[in-house]
Amino acid sequence: MRNRVINILKNTDGISDWRVLSTRTESTQLFFVHNSLETVRSTDTTDVKVTVYLLHDGAMGEATFSVYSSYDDERIAEEIEKARKKASIISNKPYTIPENEQGEYATASNFTSYAPASLAAKIADACFNADDMEGGSINALEIFVYKDTVSVTNSRGINKTQVKHRAMVEAIPTFTAGESVELYEQYNFTEFDRDRVRDEIAVKMREVKDRYEAKAPEKKLCCPVLLGAPELESLFYNFAYNLNFSAVYQHSNAFSVGDDIQKGAKGDKFSVTMCGAVKGSVSSSAFDADGYTLTDRKIIEDGRAVALFGGVRYAQYLGEVATGNLGCISVECGSLTDYEKRAAPYFRCASMSGLQVDIYNDYIGGEVRLGYYFDGEREIPVTGISISGKLSNAIANMRLSNETVTYESYTGPKCALLGGIEIV
Amino acid sequence: MSFSEFLNSRRQVCRALVKELGRSFAYVGILGSDVRSTAIRVNRATSDIGEGGAAECGFVIKMHNGRAFFEYSIDDISGDIPTLAARITEAVRTEQSLTDREISVPLPKDTPLVKSFERPCDFESFSDEELLAKCVEIRDAILAKSDKLLNATVALMPFTVSKLFISKNRELDQFYSWVNAMAVAVYREGEKMVMAREGTYSNLMAEAISTLPDHIDRLVTKCEKLATAKPIVPGVYDVITDPSISGLIAHEAFGHGVEMDQFVKDRALAKYYLGNYVASPICNMRDGAAATFSTASYFFDDDGVLAQDTQIIKDGILVSGISDLVSATELGTEPTGNGRRESYKRKAYSRMTNTFFCPGNDKLEDMIASIKHGYMLFETNNGMEDPKNWQIQCTAEYGIEIIDGKLTDNYVSPVVMSGSVPELLKSISMVSDDFKIIGSGSCGKGYKEWVRVSDGGPALKVRVKLA
Repeated sequence: MRNRVINILKNTDGISDWRVLSTRTESTQLFFVHNSLETVRSTDTTDVKVTVYLLHDGAMGEATFSVYSSYDDERIAEEIEKARKKASIISNKPYTIPENEQGEYATASNFTSYAPASLAAKIADACFNADDMEGGSINALEIFVYKDTVSVTNSRGINKTQVKHRAMVEAIPTFTAGESVELYEQYNFTEFDRDRVRDEIAVKMREVKDRYEAKAPEKKLCCPVLLGAPELESLFYNFAYNLNFSAVYQHSNAFSVGDDIQKGAKGDKFSVTMCGAVKGSVSSSAFDADGYTLTDRKIIEDGRAVALFGGVRYAQYLGEVATGNLGCISVECGSLTDYEKRAAPYFRCASMSGLQVDIYNDYIGGEVRLGYYFDGEREIPVTGISISGKLSNAIANMRLSNETVTYESYTGPKCALLGGIEIV
Repeated sequence: MSFSEFLNSRRQVCRALVKELGRSFAYVGILGSDVRSTAIRVNRATSDIGEGGAAECGFVIKMHNGRAFFEYSIDDISGDIPTLAARITEAVRTEQSLTDREISVPLPKDTPLVKSFERPCDFESFSDEELLAKCVEIRDAILAKSDKLLNATVALMPFTVSKLFISKNRELDQFYSWVNAMAVAVYREGEKMVMAREGTYSNLMAEAISTLPDHIDRLVTKCEKLATAKPIVPGVYDVITDPSISGLIAHEAFGHGVEMDQFVKDRALAKYYLGNYVASPICNMRDGAAATFSTASYFFDDDGVLAQDTQIIKDGILVSGISDLVSATELGTEPTGNGRRESYKRKAYSRMTNTFFCPGNDKLEDMIASIKHGYMLFETNNGMEDPKNWQIQCTAEYGIEIIDGKLTDNYVSPVVMSGSVPELLKSISMVSDDFKIIGSGSCGKGYKEWVRVSDGGPALKVRVKLA
């Protein structure tokens, strides 16, 4: 289909440029109810999206449509003409699409050593192997093994293909002793390591037991809050959004290059680099949807915004050099040692329903489903509470761990200690 | 506009594939989806016409081998049917190491029914030029209201849905449309930046584009007020919820908890509370694609089960859950028409549709007047369910302080409401006699599987923790 579309586009008059982005996704999926296999799924689907660009009256318009497998040549030509007409009524500032690069890429993965169905079964086995705690169980388990083949071709000589392998486990560890509690675990990975999968689930099994035993604190906790990698990923992406070319061009950025984001910082100042790839991350890529080669860029240094990042269109609008649309984020480690961390009480958020970060309203907070209060000697499981505070206060009093961790599309400090947050 | 020609052209091959796969599987159902979606967006700097995120076209085949379920997603059904059937059978074959784990559940019912459904759609009456011009007109009208507006985005997102369901005994097709129209403004007052949104929605484009301009003044006023908003002092308050927040509570506090695939997995505490009080006796709650008319009002679900209107809470007592075909089969109950997929590429789960609290007998002004000190909360930002442990987190865009029974001009934003579901629902002490459904929502299950939903209801008076 992709080649047929490209041939038709090459022979179409009246358009300035075009791009074909296709993604073939092959997957094997397993769905367990408790430890019984309820559903086996397999998919083999391909998305083909065509973008037509049209220069007219000193402006540029573009329109995108999907090409479905049922389309014959005549229908494809009709859809191109419809897109051309749509593009003709759009008058944006012109920009140049990427040019003259070809390549074939494959993200490193040992998934190629396994048949997909066999790999899915091995992942399931690793997960259930962690289900060995008295009173504990995995009440639901979903396993997804994907192979994505992404290709971008355009009228300016871009022709790139990348093969990516990824897997996702969604598990619901549960602990029952009369009453019953659960936690949610979603784990994405690109390399199969049986022990690591087992360990991921085992940690959640221990935590869900702690949630069962956790109680709301008898008195209000007044201490710094310790956030882990999932929350730090969310926090730093919120800052990064404001330094995307698109946000700046659309005037939706809360701060700009040169601004001190961590005004009055008393702790560690953070430095953030947007990246194309992080080892082991399912978000890693060699190029973006425009076919533009991804280039890492440091956007925040010592708490101050130093550069913007993003794709070709808005980069050109702002007169900047594009990085491509970067999917990963790297944060430099700080000075907080484990010894220092344990020198005073803190409240560790182990499982949140979602960290709420609102830069506009200077807010950080959320519901904590499982937390641990460290009283100076031991961590005591706590539940039924929320955290809430002024974001500016929290990051001004932030200490970043000196240990690195990789989580999803984030690599950076394993944890951060934040002051000025209420635990309610 | 009418039902997909493409899906119509595949009826015969679908029937043939059902028959062919029926040699190996005791139950076979095929869902074909052809969803066309457009997104027209303009703001101060750019305009775009593109494909909306909901667009999809393809098939999913669901099978049952007498024990477990199997599914295969594919872009098209064509070519030699026995060859395709063999490919599908091979692709879903259970790994040897897992055969002992295969569940054993009864066959789903396949009650005979042949029916077509169609809802009027006026999208073809509007050209791209007209819709783009309307967006530009509304954008300009917003920006003209204040020089403190940094940007305004106006978007129209229409989509049409064609679905075909074929099993041995059923052949159903449906066609319907929906459009979300939205205006978003970014506003700066000194150092403070705020973003506010207003929206409208309909199955008819004419209604959506004629009502969106009515929201312009409210949008700009909201920006001005939000620029003065302060953080809330965390604590437990008497609260009045607007219909959006009432709907968010219905959805997050209880809706997810009565999705019956969670019952199967022992993931929902609600399973053990059927027939018991779970809310205040003045509380009634419903869900269903046929329960009201909004964005999730389809005619049959993605399992080929007809849309229904399910009462979930009656006078404070939990009376029913909502189910897809698989969970109903496993539980030995009748499916309630709540089997929904993000797309043909994804599995069907028990999902909410239009979920709401039913109106009560109180006047909103009396409810506000009954509060010495508290807040009225407005507009859903997001929420997260916890069906096993009955905890919730619901975030409102903003709240207005109530002092001595009167709404003040004191805005707080954002406001996170959290706590125990039974405590929250049992604290409902007043329910207003008005009612509104917000038809522009979408909902994930856990952190994935996004489907379009609506929710709403009357205003509720509750006591809850805010932070």
